[in-house]
Amino acid sequence: MRRGAIVRITLIGVAVAILATLVAVLIPWLPDPASKQMGRIEFLYWFATVISIGIFAVVIAVLLYSVFAFRAAPDDDSDGPSIHGNTNLEIAWTVVPAILVIAIGVVSAVVLSQNGQAGTNPMTIKVIGQQFTWRFEYPDSKGLKSNELVMPVDRNITFQLEAVDVIHSFWIPQMGQKQDLVPGLPTHIVVTPTRMGTFTLICTELCGLGHATMRAPVRVVSQQGFDAWIKQQQSGGGSASGAGAGKAVFTSSGCGACHTYAPAGSAGAVGPNLGNLAADAKKAHEDLAAYVKESIVDPNKVIVAGYQPNVMPGNFAQTLSAKQVDALVSFLAAGSK
Amino acid sequence: MSAVEHTSHGLGHGAGAPPHRRGIFTRPGFVRAAWCFALFFLIGLYLVAGIRWFAGWDPVYDWNIIVLVGGLVMGPVGFLLGLGAFDYWLYYLSGRPTLAEDHSNHGAYTWKDYFKVNTDHKVIGMQYLVTTFVFFILGGLMAMLFRAELAQPGMQFMDTQTYNGLVSVHAALMIFVFMVPVFAGLANFAVPLMLGAPDMAFPRLNALSYWFLPIAGTMFLCSFLAPGGAFATGWTSYAPLASQQPFGQIFFNMGVQWAGASSILTALNFLVTIITMRAPGMTFWRMPLLVWANFTTSMLAVVATPFIAGSQFFVMFDRVLHTSFFIPKGGGYVLGYQHIFWFYSHPAVYIMILPGFGIISEIISVMSRKPIFGYRLMAISLLGILVLGFSVWAHHLFVAGMADWLRVPMMISTLLIAVPTGVKIFSWLATLWEGRIHLNTPMLFALGFISTFVIGGLSGVYLASVPIDIHASDTYFVVAHIHYVLFGGSVMTVFAGVYYWFPKMTGRMYNERLGKLHFWITFVSFNVTFFPMHWVGLVGMPRRVADYSQRFADLNLVISIASFVLGASILIFLYNVVTSWARGPIAEANPWRAMTLEWQVSSPPPVFNFDEIPQVVGGPYEYGVPGARHAILSGGTTPVEAGA
Repeated sequence: MRRGAIVRITLIGVAVAILATLVAVLIPWLPDPASKQMGRIEFLYWFATVISIGIFAVVIAVLLYSVFAFRAAPDDDSDGPSIHGNTNLEIAWTVVPAILVIAIGVVSAVVLSQNGQAGTNPMTIKVIGQQFTWRFEYPDSKGLKSNELVMPVDRNITFQLEAVDVIHSFWIPQMGQKQDLVPGLPTHIVVTPTRMGTFTLICTELCGLGHATMRAPVRVVSQQGFDAWIKQQQSGGGSASGAGAGKAVFTSSGCGACHTYAPAGSAGAVGPNLGNLAADAKKAHEDLAAYVKESIVDPNKVIVAGYQPNVMPGNFAQTLSAKQVDALVSFLAAGSK
Repeated sequence: MSAVEHTSHGLGHGAGAPPHRRGIFTRPGFVRAAWCFALFFLIGLYLVAGIRWFAGWDPVYDWNIIVLVGGLVMGPVGFLLGLGAFDYWLYYLSGRPTLAEDHSNHGAYTWKDYFKVNTDHKVIGMQYLVTTFVFFILGGLMAMLFRAELAQPGMQFMDTQTYNGLVSVHAALMIFVFMVPVFAGLANFAVPLMLGAPDMAFPRLNALSYWFLPIAGTMFLCSFLAPGGAFATGWTSYAPLASQQPFGQIFFNMGVQWAGASSILTALNFLVTIITMRAPGMTFWRMPLLVWANFTTSMLAVVATPFIAGSQFFVMFDRVLHTSFFIPKGGGYVLGYQHIFWFYSHPAVYIMILPGFGIISEIISVMSRKPIFGYRLMAISLLGILVLGFSVWAHHLFVAGMADWLRVPMMISTLLIAVPTGVKIFSWLATLWEGRIHLNTPMLFALGFISTFVIGGLSGVYLASVPIDIHASDTYFVVAHIHYVLFGGSVMTVFAGVYYWFPKMTGRMYNERLGKLHFWITFVSFNVTFFPMHWVGLVGMPRRVADYSQRFADLNLVISIASFVLGASILIFLYNVVTSWARGPIAEANPWRAMTLEWQVSSPPPVFNFDEIPQVVGGPYEYGVPGARHAILSGGTTPVEAGA
């Protein structure tokens, strides 16, 4: 190989590498980490990125150089040199990539092991996924139930995951960790939030019509804030009275994910528009309040034309208290006259 | 091999067709196929209704089961029977006179012969290619429809059922009736010619395996007519969601059976052809790399495909027979589906790329006028991918809840696949080195393939690393990765191969300027469409969602616009192919001055390929070796000798 060729290839390679590095650095490829685990994933991501940029630069440099340097004239009928191979070169490009990928493998295995450790005294939160809502239970706080995920900052949290109907998947993008919820097979994952703020839990496994809307609010607060929240929830202070209570149940139960309802400001399109409840009740020849209650606790009984049965969860009678159901019914009946 | 001795092409009337003329209703063809379909559907209908009536089940006419048995099983069998796909075997079974060397349905003399059960591997290759491209275009149109929906957050054109249905049918068409069989089409045309064989080992089986394909594709499309809409669980169709979906899901379960059967039969046919029908002197180490690639692909397809067939049957049985393979309440094991499904579907990724590797090896060597660098290691690396390919399936289950200890070994084997793949890429680069590079359309697609496939390979390394995969799994990063591998990888090689063999297939030359224009528009719009998906995925957009957060709106609009350009670029290809096929300049026998055997016969090749069996005397890529030859053919055209 001529020396000029080496110099030129190196120059192209460096240019490609600089360009790729700029793309890697200037675009915020990962969300700002909000958990210890995501911090490790980010480190691993950069480790793989440095190696990838190197390989990409070598391939593209040789490709571009060859196309420009060895391009034949249209009337050139000659053949190239009959090089059939080079054993040393072939060994080199078998061994070097093998070493690089094994390095990535070893670092990944270490990170994986660290990310799986819950440490001493982890807090446990139970997560139940169901088409198309999330529910949370706090066994350490007398089994407190919530439709909002609230976590104290800097605490190892073991999530115990259960699915009621089909497979769902638990992911808070800024916290990295993801785990499927599998019917009949309890799973778990460890997350240590490091940043206070509000986030969104999203389902990442296609679970049916409302999949895109299967989300839950996540709040990471200080330990004091968390304790206060637990106390407030346990004393029932979380539920306001009157119309406010119904709206709170509507929001926390995830009704808006599938239903449009102007008083709650929701625009879901999976299920019927709840602004039409009065008209639908008339069609079913039922009293409005009775119809609304029936539709919540036994959703398959009357299906509005154009919609399918078995889409809405059928267990709100179990997950909501009678008081909550009544509040929800009055909230819905009031807004659809 | 006595077929070669037939000089009276296509005159052997014997088996399927008795000498007297038959009426339009009784002779093999679409008319007979139509009434046989109806007849078999009715048989299925009354079989179901009869059993239900006898057992006293209500309703007697359960239309779901009737459509399944009559429409998706019996009807297609009747269609094939009417078309004449079983005629020879049935004549044989019933003791009527048959002629083993019957060539009455061999070769294409008019355009009508392409619409028959034809036993000529070249005709079957064309049937495959045209059919798969029809499904490719339909699948692409569906992608453009849901990209239109995704151009803005919120729901604009369609409900979520339609959206999920379009996404699922798009992927099912692209994977099962385009990507896998399009390579079978190219190989059907090229492999027997490259081996110096007159045809495939089992021509009638070959014809049958092709005709399974339109049945499978039609089934996927017909699912839109099912009550409740098309199957909407993605192409992975995970249980238990898939067992609870509306009836359209059955069309996926059964479509996969027909496409899978086609794939298995073709693979068996290739294996027997490659093992037993090589011309004298064509040792394994003298086979072109395309043949090597299809040899390994066929082994993968034969071993792996029955697993997806099983997984889809189980899901269907859970629904129609009330078994509980994957229903936890009945003792089923939900993850079992994913293990069985991916035991096929990961090797399937190699079924969808290894033949492309073969195509690229042919083109890069010929267009660089140099021997392929490290020929033996190129063949061995294919075998390496074959073996490793069976030990990586559980990397699709890193977040699924499977046994924790399985993750690290599966990660290591997945990462190691980068090694044989890297060998191929470096060897192609070394083949370019100091060559005489001719940058025509096939070569542009080959080089474009290398650059996009490297990106797809590197994003694969990220996904192999378990902790990164835990973050990126089920996001748009995965969508970007699979499209860099299957479009930037496989589809690029398909275009390269179609342009490369176009003169051989049609006897006419395509338009080079339009070809290059097609390449550049495809290459640019492909990257603009799919590269930003890496970013939206990593920062938090999950895949398979009809609606998304406002902050991804701008990039999704860019992606959608680029995807429309990408979709429209196929029009240039179609225009080029159709007009060139009709009235392009007549192609020479060997426009690329290639050494492999398919170029040593006329364009298009004679019906029985070679007037005399060629004698293979050297390697297939001896460019630049003075006086070297791949094969000696007496008579006909003079084989290419290495140039100065």
